Amino acid sequence: MENKEAPLEDGEIKPMSVSMPDLDEWGNFGDDDIMQQQSAIQAEEAKKVPFIGDKEPLSSLEAEYQSGSPILLEKIKVLGEHYAAIRRTRGDGNCFFRSFMFSYLEHILEYQDQTEVDRIKAKVEKCSKTLQTLGYLEFTFEDFFALFLELLDCVIQGKETSISHEELVLRSRDQSESDYVVMFFRFVTSGEIQKRSEFFEPFIMGLSNTTVEQFCKSAVEPMGEESDHVHITALSDALGVPIRVVYLDRSSCDNGGVSVNHHDFIPVADDLPNASTCAETNTPYIRLLYRPGHYDILYPK
Amino acid sequence: MTSSSASARKALSKIACNRLQKELVEWQVNPPAGFKHKVTDNLQRWVIEVTGAPGTLYANETYQLQVDFPEHYPMEAPQVIFLHPAPMHPHIYSNGHICLDILYDSWSPAMTVSSICISILSMLSSSTVKQRPEDNDRYVKNCRNGRSPKETRWWFHDDKV
Repeated sequence: MENKEAPLEDGEIKPMSVSMPDLDEWGNFGDDDIMQQQSAIQAEEAKKVPFIGDKEPLSSLEAEYQSGSPILLEKIKVLGEHYAAIRRTRGDGNCFFRSFMFSYLEHILEYQDQTEVDRIKAKVEKCSKTLQTLGYLEFTFEDFFALFLELLDCVIQGKETSISHEELVLRSRDQSESDYVVMFFRFVTSGEIQKRSEFFEPFIMGLSNTTVEQFCKSAVEPMGEESDHVHITALSDALGVPIRVVYLDRSSCDNGGVSVNHHDFIPVADDLPNASTCAETNTPYIRLLYRPGHYDILYPK
Repeated sequence: MTSSSASARKALSKIACNRLQKELVEWQVNPPAGFKHKVTDNLQRWVIEVTGAPGTLYANETYQLQVDFPEHYPMEAPQVIFLHPAPMHPHIYSNGHICLDILYDSWSPAMTVSSICISILSMLSSSTVKQRPEDNDRYVKNCRNGRSPKETRWWFHDDKV
């Protein structure tokens, strides 16, 4: 990755094992009210941004930095040359998976690409086999897989169960449904990482100094654990879907000019789709905007 | 956590019910070594007997775990506590609360009652000393109003035991 501000914040791993409460910390919150207040504040914050927001013009991003860094404002201008709109997602640690979910399903809905649906279904079937081979009991993941496949069928029009774009937004905002799909992607990601553990091991060691299996248990499978390039690579490979991540950060180029870096996650060669819409151009149709610690969806011009 | 506040919890969702039924079947076919679950008609609360592993500090001792499932299990973690008397262990409070990351922040729907049990037994087995956590009295006092361990902000930084 050429980006200087690699998503370190995302790589933070919580300690793995059984532990003791910190004594000093206990003294700080003897009062139950503090806990309740904290979760109330969190809930309040969360409500401000739905899981999946409305599509907004890129100017709304500019407005956010009006009094901020000039470099960022410059970069947003450059971004504006290629992108027209942004759709924000809630910053709850699941934003990468949630962005991917919506972006992917929206693409299928828009293009009615049955070939892609068939292709990804075969991939999902493979992912299920992978998890079983790894020793996961089917009942631990089947409900999550089933919900994704159901949504996938729903976005193809002309059936009794078909849903409109509006409904897709609503369902992506519905906590139980949305979280189940996020969890489906977490299973798929975890399975892919463990299946190719020798490939992912060096990256994981660099991030967290844990084993591949521990990493999956602590940084992939629990909800709310943030994603970085390991997760993105694994998900993209497992499902055979290319993903572009555009980086918006304060880093500047050596020559003084301002440019916006992006990285394309292209699925490993033998898994590239043959007949899918993205094959001819190889440009990912999933485009995400990364700002340190957070992913949103981008729409091209 | 007192039993009264646990039973006041919302009923299991349909998806939680289905999942638990599958876990129950799996448990019956393939119970984790060292554990016994007396099946009752209460799917939302399991009481599980655990016997300390041979060759460990808790060999031949028997304790009871109470597992309460929330409405949105498995997206939400179950609440797991030891019933009185809880084993003497540096991560187990005298009120039965257990300081174990997978029960709180690190819970994932990929886990099962069975995998929780195995983690708890492993936690018991690796203990080298039978004692309460240093802040036991203060913590237990704080929980007198029946607070669930899931409402505690746990700090996990000791990975030796």
